[in-house]
Amino acid sequence: MESSDHLTHVIQAYIDRMPSLSTTVNKVLEVCNSPKTSANDLNRVISLDPVLTGHVLKLINSAYYSLPNQVSSLARAIIMLGLNTVKNLALSTAVIGALGKKSCFTALSMDAFWAHSICVGVTAKALAAANNVAGSERDEYFVAGMLHDLGKIPLNKCFAAEYAQALQLAALEQGSLLRSEQLLVGIDHGMAGRLIGEKWRLAPSIVDSLAFHHAPEQAPADSRTLVATVALANLYANIYEIGSAGDTFPEAPFLMSILEMMDLKWTDLAPLHAIVRMELDKAQVFLKLTE
Amino acid sequence: MMRVKFWGVRGSIPCPGGHTAKYGGNTSCIEIRFDDVGRQIIIDAGSGLRELGNFMMGHDLPKGPISTSIYLSHTHWDHIMGFPFFTPIYLPSTRIEVFGPVSHESDTLETIVGGQMTYRYFPVRQAELAATISYANLKEGRFDLGDGITLTTKYLNHPILCLGYRFEYQGKVFCTAYDTEPYQNLFCTDSDSTEYDEGMALEGEVVAREQNEALESFVAGADLLVYDAQYTQGEYIPGKVGWGHSSMEFAIAVARRRQVKRLALFHHEPVRTDGEFDELAAIYAQTGDGDGPEIFFAREGGEIIL
Ligand SMILES: [Zn+2]
Ligand SMILES: [Zn+2]
Repeated sequence: MESSDHLTHVIQAYIDRMPSLSTTVNKVLEVCNSPKTSANDLNRVISLDPVLTGHVLKLINSAYYSLPNQVSSLARAIIMLGLNTVKNLALSTAVIGALGKKSCFTALSMDAFWAHSICVGVTAKALAAANNVAGSERDEYFVAGMLHDLGKIPLNKCFAAEYAQALQLAALEQGSLLRSEQLLVGIDHGMAGRLIGEKWRLAPSIVDSLAFHHAPEQAPADSRTLVATVALANLYANIYEIGSAGDTFPEAPFLMSILEMMDLKWTDLAPLHAIVRMELDKAQVFLKLTE
Repeated sequence: MMRVKFWGVRGSIPCPGGHTAKYGGNTSCIEIRFDDVGRQIIIDAGSGLRELGNFMMGHDLPKGPISTSIYLSHTHWDHIMGFPFFTPIYLPSTRIEVFGPVSHESDTLETIVGGQMTYRYFPVRQAELAATISYANLKEGRFDLGDGITLTTKYLNHPILCLGYRFEYQGKVFCTAYDTEPYQNLFCTDSDSTEYDEGMALEGEVVAREQNEALESFVAGADLLVYDAQYTQGEYIPGKVGWGHSSMEFAIAVARRRQVKRLALFHHEPVRTDGEFDELAAIYAQTGDGDGPEIFFAREGGEIIL
């Protein structure tokens, strides 16, 4: 195993050319090239791709605009910078997506990863609504959920052999993927997620959910509710097996502690099922996915 | 003391002719003189810049080499087209700093402004210009320009990145906010529509309100505010929403709400004739004797001392 400095370096070198998921690229090009695109469509198409969302937020928060406050939602960016600017940002970013062939996803299945990401995004948003988070803030929950597993992409890409072993080990042990990542790659997806969030200068709350969604109690107090919501949404997606990002065996004590943190019971989550399925179907129809 | 002079007040395209002689036909160019410290700042390089350059050749050059700064609100053509015709750029002794916003996917400021000077469009190439010209990207922020002049910049709502400028000097405030329109909730708000998304609709509402608030605070208390007023509200609502310009009614409402002392309505629609302006002035102009701001339509050649 290599030194963690070296691992960090390899991942950082990869982050800026990280490809969009090819699941969404064609639709992004279609929507962004159309002069008649509505704000709703633009927001939807970008937000359905975790990598693209990250890239766009990165550009908006970058020195090009040097906005006084960090922007953590696409809806906000669209109003502030206008449809054209955001469209162009997405287009210039989606071009990187040309590199995002499915073959890049050596160990993880890209379509399953995408479905997992969107399920967590949608569930986090639904949980936020159930917890009376203001409507205008729920988009941040969606973004945080959608992006939470971004750290897996460079791990999977830069250390394909080790990562495949880590996935196997987690499956074999029916245990935590995070632990087998640490064991076999030397860096876990929370750490890699933090590197992405910091390099892209995403809002602190989003970075925290990338870094701490397997340990929300360690998240800074400001973002703990958001991170715990994402963590719960992640467990939900894994338990109900909607999509897959390799974390198939959530630990029961962890689930109980998060439910406690959020003052919820497992049965409170059942009604989310219909919403999540519907949102996932809508996204699939929107992207015109065939499978 | 700041002396503000309008050299171009039109939007979109120059419109010379008998019907525009009184208010002027040149596109955006405003000059500020800070006589006490011998500084000059130019906002926008629309076609009005040509006349200003000619004036400077006669008035400033005999006193020594020309040194000036040009702050571009944005790089739409009506705001940069005067640059190749600004005579001082052809003098080796001239020094010019050009500032302006450029969005990330675009070329550099130098390419955009100087790119007008390629043989395809113009007989002189940028590389052949004699003056020393420097370019710098400008973003939102607060800048100390020296000599007691402070500049605050603010992004406006226009189809490309566009800046408003707020100059503060000796306790006086001069502010520009044109090529902008009120921020709108761009998301679908009709809950019966298939496009409708409650979260987007609500957030759009909040952000638009917040951005309008921020823009209004930016112009608050100005001694002179030059604001986009390309349309009447009657023209704006049916067909011009999203084009990046405001209505006179909106400009006036902002100035009233934010205790602006003088409001210059600016970036006039090119088809507007002198006769129409006189009629509109009868409705919208104010002397400022009461408690509201003084309101007038900016006129080429008009000068205001702050
Ligand atoms: Zn995870
Ligand atoms: Zn203009």
